[in-house]
Amino acid sequence: MPGVDLTIEICGMSGDGTIAAGTLLNEALSGAGFSIIGFDSYPAEIRGFGRCVTRSRFGTSRMLALSDHTHVLISLDDQQAISRISMLGKNAKVLFDNKPAGTVQEGMSIAAHTAPDADLYGMPFTDLASEAAGTTRGKNLAALGCFTGLAGIDPRFFYTVIEKKFRAKGETVLNANLNSFNAGLTYAHTHFEDAPLVITAPAPEKKKVQRIMLSGNAAIARGALDAGLALYFGYPITPATPIMEYLAKTLPQKGGKVVQMEDEISSIGAVLGSFYAGKRAMTATSGPGLALMAEMISLGVMSETPAVIVDAQRGGPSTGLPTKTEQSDLHAAVFGGPGDSPRIVIAPTDVAECYQFTLKSFELAEKYQTPVIVLTDFFLDNRVENVAAADISGKKRVDGNIYPPKKEQGRYQRYLVTPSGISPRALPGSEGYIYPATGLEHTEAGLPDYSEPVHMQMNAKRHTKIRQALADLPPPKEFSQKGPLDLGVIAWGSSFGAALEAVLKARKKGLAVGALKVISLFPYHEEQIRQFMSRCRRVLIPELNFQGQLANLIGHLHHGDVVRFNRTTGTPLLPSEILLKIQELLQKDNT
Amino acid sequence: MREDHFIVIGNGPAGSQAAFTLKEKAPEARVTIVTKEREGCCHSHLLPGFLAGSISEKKVFAISLDHYTKSGIKLRTGQSVVDVNPQRKEILLEHKETISYSGLIIAVGGRPYIPEPLLAYREHLCTLKTFQDTGTWRQLLPAADSILIMGGDLTSLAVTKSLLALKKKIYFMLTGEAFWPLRFDKALQEEVSGKLTKRGVTVLAGNKLVGIEPVRSGSCRVYVDGQKIKVDMIGAFFGLVPDIGFLRRSGLQLDRGVLVDEYLCSSHEGICAAGDCAQIYHPEIKDYWVSIGTKNARSLGKIAAVNLAGGRKKTRVDRERIFDIQGVKVNTSWWMEF
Ligand SMILES: Cc1cc2nc3c(=O)[nH]c(=O)nc-3n(C[C@H](O)[C@H](O)[C@H](O)COP(=O)(O)OP(=O)(O)OC[C@H]3O[C@@H](n4cnc5c(N)ncnc54)[C@H](O)[C@@H]3O)c2cc1C
Repeated sequence: MPGVDLTIEICGMSGDGTIAAGTLLNEALSGAGFSIIGFDSYPAEIRGFGRCVTRSRFGTSRMLALSDHTHVLISLDDQQAISRISMLGKNAKVLFDNKPAGTVQEGMSIAAHTAPDADLYGMPFTDLASEAAGTTRGKNLAALGCFTGLAGIDPRFFYTVIEKKFRAKGETVLNANLNSFNAGLTYAHTHFEDAPLVITAPAPEKKKVQRIMLSGNAAIARGALDAGLALYFGYPITPATPIMEYLAKTLPQKGGKVVQMEDEISSIGAVLGSFYAGKRAMTATSGPGLALMAEMISLGVMSETPAVIVDAQRGGPSTGLPTKTEQSDLHAAVFGGPGDSPRIVIAPTDVAECYQFTLKSFELAEKYQTPVIVLTDFFLDNRVENVAAADISGKKRVDGNIYPPKKEQGRYQRYLVTPSGISPRALPGSEGYIYPATGLEHTEAGLPDYSEPVHMQMNAKRHTKIRQALADLPPPKEFSQKGPLDLGVIAWGSSFGAALEAVLKARKKGLAVGALKVISLFPYHEEQIRQFMSRCRRVLIPELNFQGQLANLIGHLHHGDVVRFNRTTGTPLLPSEILLKIQELLQKDNT
Repeated sequence: MREDHFIVIGNGPAGSQAAFTLKEKAPEARVTIVTKEREGCCHSHLLPGFLAGSISEKKVFAISLDHYTKSGIKLRTGQSVVDVNPQRKEILLEHKETISYSGLIIAVGGRPYIPEPLLAYREHLCTLKTFQDTGTWRQLLPAADSILIMGGDLTSLAVTKSLLALKKKIYFMLTGEAFWPLRFDKALQEEVSGKLTKRGVTVLAGNKLVGIEPVRSGSCRVYVDGQKIKVDMIGAFFGLVPDIGFLRRSGLQLDRGVLVDEYLCSSHEGICAAGDCAQIYHPEIKDYWVSIGTKNARSLGKIAAVNLAGGRKKTRVDRERIFDIQGVKVNTSWWMEF
């Protein structure tokens, strides 16, 4: 039986319950055992007045990226959904409300715009909801019911999630939603008997894996909570704000505090202050906020104070494209700020890694006494995946602090030069361990000193320390066969999934191609990357920025050709375009 | 000046031909086809061969969907017209969208006719008109050893031929309407009956159906007069009736089909009809006739389009090919050797 790999879009006007329907759909399909990657989008302006789209790719094997095309489009508002038609693949199914309040003129219905090969299913979503529940509000549920009926999916998966979502709102609301759903289901069963879109759920997993539907942002917040976050300081900015919202609800229950600061500078200042005082703290921002933080981050570098900063990238420069995805802060994250200020920059590639590496970043920040930037982007932050519960919870927090030994009491040198570059860090208020901490260059005791040898020595110390961190940082992960490769694809962050899918498809076509996932962007594992590159005739680095920022960073490690594949359209990279590039490059090689 | 917008309802041989001709005669005009079929132009006459496996799906849909797009024709599939308003020059689609036209061709063909007494057994009767219908046949055929063909219009003979090729046991019930739309007479009945029997078909001539009783999924016990036969499938072929129910409120002159003159123009300006759904006036016989068959449909579609685009072309039909069936004059171009 061929595996399922389908993409469903729900599109409506805000107020239609589009996002709620998408969430229920994802949860239900997850319950049915599918792997899911979902991505919602909404316009930059005011959320209350725009088009809402939820996009879910689900299948029987692990979903790594979004797909090129939509196979099923559910329109809750034709005027909005018409714009999604360009996404439809061949023979796509389009479900739409065929009983609008009055007649509409030519072109106002989605049916006027679909290609002849599209399969239209007109169903009276609004009427069904209103008859079943006395309100049209449940039209999104009626639409889900219609879809479930057409697809022949067991409705119990939906009952479970509807129940979970609405139970707390009381019996009346729950029943209204269940009734709307059932009305849609019955309609589809009676009008389209031979379920035209049979979606067969995968066989149940042998060992039942509990899965949780989670966004990248939620995973980051959970990672921080499990790391024992005490304080969150932030200033709202898309796409980082949901982290603050999540923590505002959860952190106080754990005894922590969320403080909305007046800007990003004060946010990072407060984070440094907290860590300085021995409390784990975090801030999350986007490109414009990271730029404001640059000076303070370098203070963290100079004063060797830990900090955890999430940079949720969006289109830039400046205010840029607030609701579009891009990977163009890599240079700013790695090099941004005055002076030689090395810091750790780590980029998760999926939702589970958002959790794991945020958690890890606290330990790294403490151990290496440095700001750690967790670099994500709009697509990774807002996408949802049904991750195994074991991958995103219950991980033990590790205290990374190295405290000075007792013997140093009274003669404590905070910035003592050691082979590793790490000097034990005392917390303020410890008797006999008092030291000045400053942004000025300083001696081992912390006293300001601008002399040549001191600056040379301290620069070296700070860089040595960061290089040492490689041992604790996740190494690059290779996905390929042994031996020489015609092409190696190296990718990072949210684009890695698309790159891996492209490589797996290329390999199925018999091409000698491999993929390398780079997680730690600074410091990076030069040796492993070099080794991988040395086996590749050519290297391709696809990324969502104009310059090829990862290529700029690591391209010099390869003796051969490094091909950049850059796009700045604000939308995630797709496996198909990377695959096309791979084929194009290898074809050129053969001619 | 507002651009012309020609709408063709139906994408069978008549409708598709009409649309392509319109685009040819009036290249500047918008041409839209609205069809309730989900697929492209289905050549129904190839469906029996498709069931037998001798005709490919690609051949059944001889015109590719791309060809419409490339020709500048907007094809709306899976959309039904539920009303026509000649005063406002508008059609209304089932999903409540109205479209204005400057010229309209109705080419909705026919739908399978089931005689009133048999409606009670509808769920056991398989018809074959659209490509979707083949789904049921293809689902049931592999497990069906014996099949009863009822009614017996021209299509039933083609279907029987295909089923014999699949080595099925066929029972054939020749009734009074057996040769619709051909003239029914004893000589013809005997001729066909003889040919069928020679091919191994069990002919139940002149018998009357008493009842149908499902046995297990798909199989039925059929009571015909005194006898009882067990079959795995029943095909019903009682001819096609013009599918014009949606025009009842339009004010257009209707009888069995849409009444049109020899130029295929209806009682209302700017509206023509073509193909199986048109009932055409024939000045020589001073009566209306219905045309059946793919070739007829195509040529009528072309004539309707030429005339709607400002031409003046008459339909032509040989007198001797017109048959009188239940008071309706029928022309068929496809009576084939069985
Ligand atoms: C099984 C079978 C075998 C046949 N064998 C032969 C043969 O061998 N030789 C031969 O010449 N003829 C044969 N015929 C007859 C031939 O197929 C028809 O005469 C021919 O298809 C008529 O063409 P048409 O365009 O008028 O109508 P149709 O082919 O019936 O097309 C009508 C179109 O109108 C659309 N439509 C209907 N109502 C609406 C509505 N309200 N809104 C929108 N769209 C609508 C339908 O979806 C369809 O697309 C056979 C027919 C059948 C069923």
